[in-house]
Amino acid sequence: MIRNSELWGGLFWLAIGGFVIWSGRDMGLGRLNEPGSGFAFYWIGLLMCALALTIVGQALVSGGPSLAALWAGTRWRKVLVVIGLLLVYGVGFETIGFIPCTLALLLVLMWFVDPVDWWLAPIIAVAATFAVWAALTKWLKIQLPAGILAGIIG
Amino acid sequence: MEILSGLGQGFAVALQPINLLYCFIGVFIGTLVGVLPGIGPVSAMSLLLPITLSGTPEAGIIMMAGIYYGSMYGGSTTSILVNIPGEAASVVTCIDGHEMAKQGRAGPALGMAALASFAAGTFAIIALMLVAPTLARVAVAFGPPEYFSLMLLGLTILSFLSQGSMAKSLLMAAVGIVLGLIGMDQITAMPRLTFERLELLDGIGLVPVVMGLFGVAEILSNLERELKREVIKARIGGLWPSLADWSASKWAILRGTVLGFFLGILPGGGAVIASFASYALEKKVSRTPERFGKGAIEGVAGPEAANNAAAGGAFIPLMTLGIPPNVVMALLLGAFIIHGLQPGPLMMIQRPDLFWGIVASMYIGNAMLLVLNMPLIGMWVQVLKLPYRILFPLILMFCIVGVFASGNAVFDVFVMVMFGVLGYLMRKFGYEPAPLVLAFVLGPMLENNLRKSLILSHGGFTIFFDRPISATCLLLAAAALAAPLLPALARRRSRLAADQA
Repeated sequence: MIRNSELWGGLFWLAIGGFVIWSGRDMGLGRLNEPGSGFAFYWIGLLMCALALTIVGQALVSGGPSLAALWAGTRWRKVLVVIGLLLVYGVGFETIGFIPCTLALLLVLMWFVDPVDWWLAPIIAVAATFAVWAALTKWLKIQLPAGILAGIIG
Repeated sequence: MEILSGLGQGFAVALQPINLLYCFIGVFIGTLVGVLPGIGPVSAMSLLLPITLSGTPEAGIIMMAGIYYGSMYGGSTTSILVNIPGEAASVVTCIDGHEMAKQGRAGPALGMAALASFAAGTFAIIALMLVAPTLARVAVAFGPPEYFSLMLLGLTILSFLSQGSMAKSLLMAAVGIVLGLIGMDQITAMPRLTFERLELLDGIGLVPVVMGLFGVAEILSNLERELKREVIKARIGGLWPSLADWSASKWAILRGTVLGFFLGILPGGGAVIASFASYALEKKVSRTPERFGKGAIEGVAGPEAANNAAAGGAFIPLMTLGIPPNVVMALLLGAFIIHGLQPGPLMMIQRPDLFWGIVASMYIGNAMLLVLNMPLIGMWVQVLKLPYRILFPLILMFCIVGVFASGNAVFDVFVMVMFGVLGYLMRKFGYEPAPLVLAFVLGPMLENNLRKSLILSHGGFTIFFDRPISATCLLLAAAALAAPLLPALARRRSRLAADQA
């Protein structure tokens, strides 16, 4: 029972629902003829808790797949790596710049995460990065962070 | 006469070179994302939402609309040739379309899909043109209680029709409303759930939420397992269906068109439901139901007509009431709002050029799609051969760039990653993202109309039941909520969910 994924899902949303109720009360419920900022939050939080409890109840009665079963036989490490890469990309985006960050991201994805021919990866990465950069900055006039290349392309 | 003069005005707008170009880009990208598994119209539209800012509102919205109905056309190609649906509304086309392809009849299957889509798309535009002005005149009289009840009905029906547990779908709708309400309160100007972050004062952006839930989450889910695509190798020739094919399909196209159109109008309905309903209907009315699943051309014609008619029908609630009936229309609403426009009954009076321009562009777009889908089928087959391991890094890059460009803030990239992880986990745990996104868009309007209604009625809830339209909507919503409690309806819903899964 403790590994039941349905149960954990329900409990997660129950906690979120509880937080929404608390936030709604904190913002002020107002009166029925003049609802306050927290009025909708409070009632939706209650609805969330009721629905989450239904899911928890169903999980306790009917069971559900275990947490491990959800990832059994999958390439979950690739998922974790991509999430990590996206976070690193976000951190470096403004300081390092769009071009170096995007080139690095595409190369890592195509060389290590789901590999393509080693010679093809740099061609695609360079062509895609510069095409997008040119289209956005020159055609659509959208500013992308130049970062460490500010002196060259800025 | 009023309609004809409106249409004339619309063609004057739609035939401007820049609008023709945007229409072509829209239907081309729509066909492309329809053909490519792993990216759907929702991701493509949210990706291109920021790009629409650089042009006029009509050009941007014409392009966005083109992506939607273009993807309905393109989705059938992948279903027929690879047995993988290019997008959700083409799932059912796999059944008989791919069987036909295996029997060496890929050409007629593709041709029938394109022609049925064209016929249904054209019907839907004519119906939109006839129905929308009348409905808009009625909708002018709608007040906050009607809007509140209609939106509630839309969310309830979408939850009812979603795959799997209804409790989970309703929960997602509730989460969507909460997320939509984050930011400054429109009435009291009080910051709500902003955690003292300035970026959240204006609320969470639609683009990062949708890109995360649909774009990034889809990539993460696809990465988990190896996508194997085996494209039919035989030469695809003879796209024009035979007389026997026409004879077998003509009524299926007509039934699919009418059914799809009405399911498209319904709040919470849409192209996916329409295609499944049409397939079930064709199987039921057929004298030889045993042929279905073994390459019956009606099994391609009916659903393809239905999903295209539904795509056209879905414009009606958005254009006349300002209420999006599904996620794609919610994105289109986002595009309107970004351009400072509010679709609804008044838009047709204040901006007739825009309304009729969009309608006229849909005529032109449908003709463009026929040209793109019939002679260029060989090109789309080549696109299909592009490996996913090359596609996904590029899609990921477009997601990041699209999200950054929408708000010029790295914060939005982190929001997208967060929603990507959430969307991935939601798929794992069996929670639907569609009710969340629709509720996210409707949330602020829902709360606003609820508060206005309560202020108007001095705190009395009877205002929702005193007005006939509001009362009917609430009654229907209550029926949808109570349906799972009735064993016969619960079984029917489970069957529908299983079919969609």
